[in-house]
Amino acid sequence: MNAGALLLNLGLSFLGLGALCLSLARHHGAVLRSSPRPARVLALRAAGWSLIGLSLAAAIRLEGGSFGPVQWLGSLVGAGLVLIAALSYRPRALPWMLLLAAAASLAAPALAMSRPAF
Amino acid sequence: MRNGLRQSMAWLHTWSGLVVGWVLFAVFLTGTASYYKPEISRWMQPELRREASLGPDVLARAADLAVAHLQAHAAGARTWFITLPQPDRPLLELFWRTRPGTPPGRAVLDPRTGEPAALRETKGGEFLYRFHFELNLPPLWGRWIVGGCAMIMLVALVSGVVTHRRIFADFFTLRRDKSAQRGWLDAHNVTGVLALPFHLMITYTGVVTLALMYMPWGVTAAYRGDAQAYFAETGQITQPRPPAGRPGTLAPVGPMVRQAAATIPGPLERLTVANPRDANATVVAVFEEPHGLSHEHPQVAFDGATGAVVEVRQGGLRPAAKTFTTMVGLHEAHFAGAALRVLFFLCGLMGTAMVATGLVLWTVARLPRSGQAPGPGWRLVHGLNVGTVAGLPAAVAAYFLANRLLPPDLAGRAEWEVWAFFSTWLATTLAAFLPPPRQAWSGALVLAAALYLAVPVADVLTAAAAWDDPAWFLGFDAAIIALAACLAIIARKVARYEAPRRARRDAAGRPAPGAPPAAPEPALHAAPGPRGEGADARLGRA
Repeated sequence: MNAGALLLNLGLSFLGLGALCLSLARHHGAVLRSSPRPARVLALRAAGWSLIGLSLAAAIRLEGGSFGPVQWLGSLVGAGLVLIAALSYRPRALPWMLLLAAAASLAAPALAMSRPAF
Repeated sequence: MRNGLRQSMAWLHTWSGLVVGWVLFAVFLTGTASYYKPEISRWMQPELRREASLGPDVLARAADLAVAHLQAHAAGARTWFITLPQPDRPLLELFWRTRPGTPPGRAVLDPRTGEPAALRETKGGEFLYRFHFELNLPPLWGRWIVGGCAMIMLVALVSGVVTHRRIFADFFTLRRDKSAQRGWLDAHNVTGVLALPFHLMITYTGVVTLALMYMPWGVTAAYRGDAQAYFAETGQITQPRPPAGRPGTLAPVGPMVRQAAATIPGPLERLTVANPRDANATVVAVFEEPHGLSHEHPQVAFDGATGAVVEVRQGGLRPAAKTFTTMVGLHEAHFAGAALRVLFFLCGLMGTAMVATGLVLWTVARLPRSGQAPGPGWRLVHGLNVGTVAGLPAAVAAYFLANRLLPPDLAGRAEWEVWAFFSTWLATTLAAFLPPPRQAWSGALVLAAALYLAVPVADVLTAAAAWDDPAWFLGFDAAIIALAACLAIIARKVARYEAPRRARRDAAGRPAPGAPPAAPEPALHAAPGPRGEGADARLGRA
């Protein structure tokens, strides 16, 4: 197992799910105190699904065709759990957590490349 | 559309889930704990000293000692199973079967001396693992019950997905400011939907693991019921060799172990010796699974009388067999490294929580109106809910606690630990019927939290001198304390919960804060919502 690959998957999953959740009026309101315009809803959904797809591609690339999808699904569940907990207890903290996830996703490839993947 | 597909599915989901819910909770909880089976077993035998590495010579010598012990104590047995020492478990574990109907024999030896190992007797993580699919019943009964429940679980999963029509819109929603019923439904949906791929995978592969037992007709028709022949032809085991019926002498196994280790790279895990006193004796060396999703052990078979290699089995499975072994591998997740294992463990916890929230939701959605006594059906479900959801975790804690508190040389010690598990479970369940519902919940949860808190205390007081790696044992104890803290927080939430203002309809009938609640106190102060939310919320509507 490659810690960098897992961190990358967790970061991308969190960003992707976060974008999808902000595309829903209820959560957009709770986090940003406004309702999203239709154009923004579309952009957030496109970004969310793309990030989740990117996460799958990265997992397959770094962990191979059999472990990749398993790790991808696992990281989606883990990231989703954190996201839902944040949404119901500290919705205002979500933007900061998304920034953190973005930083982790950017830093992770360096970590992933420094050690050979299986 | 009244009485349409969704309503039928909601009915099916509610009742199929309730009927098997208690068994499923136990299966999920002990199965989730089994992801850490080796760690639990290690913690439960603190006297065990680990080794840095074990070369083929050490293994060969240990195997010879094991065979000497078995020749002396299990000469008449049909099959010997010898688990060879591993660096993190340097023990010789022997198991033998004599004939159907007689109980199998067991021994645990020190691999250097061949003498019985000086360790406390315990079933360790193996008990939780076997309970997960056998419920501590006779294996056949337990596997049939668990399998039946798992099949009904698949029904509940599919009907649940059909019932829940706002999967995407409610995907991230966990409302804590609405009625209690709404909150429990959200929690049930979130734990169910977020980890749905895991739930489907784990339930389906769980049934597939024992599919041959549930659906034996293919093997009956094609192999005249001989499952061994089927396994051999699909390449999962080496070809069975029937006994010759003449007595023979087993050649020394040490050289076989050395040759097997030279044939296949990777750690050698165990030896199986079939018909040890027959001229046609067979010794099979079984290796650990290579890194991969699929659950398949490389094997080398030897002629027991001559010591010559008769078969080497490594990979090369055909697609159908490969599908089967991959499903078993996915279920067991032996391939997962530390981080991925945490994710599997989290998924398992979410499955456990999904079952628990479903069970609680049944009672919350059917709370008797204020001032009315709950009916016998409600009381039964409530009592079993408390006894299972809070009582089973308490029982696991009692199992750990008994491991530390029982005298190390007590006769039948392993059985006493299991007795502690079941008596705690039974006592909690019976006690859950006595107090008013809310006190029953908080009382049972406080008991579970207290038992978990007592585990690390007992560990430090009785076993600290034996620890070979204090940091590791303290880490395990820290995880137990975290569990205790979670249970304590839940107990506190249950005790202090007050329904949000808008969900209260009958505040007049409620006792003043601080006063003991009246006898038919609703479990969580949740009256059906003002808009007849009961039926709608049960169907997953907003």
